[in-house]
Amino acid sequence: MFGYIRPAAHRLSGEENERFHAAYCGLCHTLGRRYGFAARFLLNFDFTFLAILLSLGTQTSCVCRRCIAHPCRGCGTIAASAALDAAAAQSVVLSWWQIQDHIADHGFWSGLKYRLAALLLRGAYRKARADASDFDMTVRQRLHELSEREREQCASLDAAAEPFAVLLSEVASTQSDETKRRIYRQLFYHLGRWIYLVDAADDFRDDARNGNYNPLRCRYSIDGDTLPDAVRLELGETLDASIRQMAGAYALLDAGEWTSVLDSIFYDSLYGIGGAVLKGIYRKPSRFRRDRTTEGETA
Amino acid sequence: MSDPYKVLNVSPNASDDEIKHAYRELARKYHPDNYHDNPLADLAQEKMKEINEAYEQVQRQRKARSSYDAQRGSYSQSSYSYGGASGQADSSDPLLQQVRAAINSGDITRAERLLNEAQAHGAEWNFLMGVVCTRRGWMDEAKQYFQNACRMDPNNAEYRQALQMFNNSGYQPAGFRSFGSMTYGSDDCLRMCAAWSCCMLSGGRCCIF
Repeated sequence: MFGYIRPAAHRLSGEENERFHAAYCGLCHTLGRRYGFAARFLLNFDFTFLAILLSLGTQTSCVCRRCIAHPCRGCGTIAASAALDAAAAQSVVLSWWQIQDHIADHGFWSGLKYRLAALLLRGAYRKARADASDFDMTVRQRLHELSEREREQCASLDAAAEPFAVLLSEVASTQSDETKRRIYRQLFYHLGRWIYLVDAADDFRDDARNGNYNPLRCRYSIDGDTLPDAVRLELGETLDASIRQMAGAYALLDAGEWTSVLDSIFYDSLYGIGGAVLKGIYRKPSRFRRDRTTEGETA
Repeated sequence: MSDPYKVLNVSPNASDDEIKHAYRELARKYHPDNYHDNPLADLAQEKMKEINEAYEQVQRQRKARSSYDAQRGSYSQSSYSYGGASGQADSSDPLLQQVRAAINSGDITRAERLLNEAQAHGAEWNFLMGVVCTRRGWMDEAKQYFQNACRMDPNNAEYRQALQMFNNSGYQPAGFRSFGSMTYGSDDCLRMCAAWSCCMLSGGRCCIF
């Protein structure tokens, strides 16, 4: 998970933005409580989005809590729940294997920071693996498939994206209700596909310069280090197709109190984020800046 | 049956116009066009049925309550309904007929296996590969197959419709403009787009995690 997804803040009221922030803080606290301080650093927007989706259908209550980032004035935080616990375990497992992937991809010196991260997170991962052993197995298997696709220089966007999409769709297996599981599976499959392709577009220049595999270069036979306009258009269309599949699945869920936040994601911000990445004007936000989002992005 | 007003997401005190508006919005949301070749089409169909029934029930209740409102009954005719997601033509090739049967029964793995066995890759084969890919979520391949089918047989309405459905902009709720990733940044959306690159990057007090 790469931290791309967030609500369209300009569409939300102050209270609704606070609600998203409460989920962000809730997941942070859960990561800290269950997996230790280091695990808090794994928090990102995609995991928050995952936690919100997994919380649908359950009543979430808000509590005011302090933390190291808010030592004086506590902030609204959604209270601990089984959905948050599941999202936290999956976040740790996913991040761990991503770090392992980075270690494998980098040499000794350039991979040092990942080795250090792995060292700090070893305990957290062991605990998360015990909490989500099936998911851990799926992630290992799918990431292995993903590296195979890379090795064989796969020229099909869909085949290249499939392992990550299937990996994410496995998040649905925690759902006990069969109908809900089907909906989540479809939603997370396309979320995985979308994230994979957006990331491929985002990394295109770096991959081209470093000679790394990039599915877009193979699919469209691009020589340079920029995406031609025609490719951007085509890629935009295929990203839109996945967003529509996600929105179709989302429409079948009862989002309850999260309706405004999720509507703004599925009907607006995914297009905006994908578009910004394709146009090369996207910059990953490192951390949540609360004041900014609550102002409503009207500048 | 559950409370029809709850299904339509309106208050029991809502006016007839508000109810009609809510119904139309929901009908637009779960319209079969939005779930063409979608693995969740059956769930959307159930939802649509539930909404139609709720709307008709509300109509009946209101009609019984106020006799002057008699003309309202005709709305049920405007209900959206499925003609079956598989309004597909008969195939002349027995193998492709089996593929269509497998797709209709939801057995995509079998459909794909049969398609891989086929020797000739004509327009219909491409079309059916497109359907299988859409069901699997392989949207880039699906589009290429639909485009091939249309190129090989430009006058076939079924293939043209598939490609058209593929490009369908989908449901956007009232208040959300219909756009794509590449058109998002045009005109007044531009500043919103710029906001993606700078939002949450600067500001005062922040959360370090």
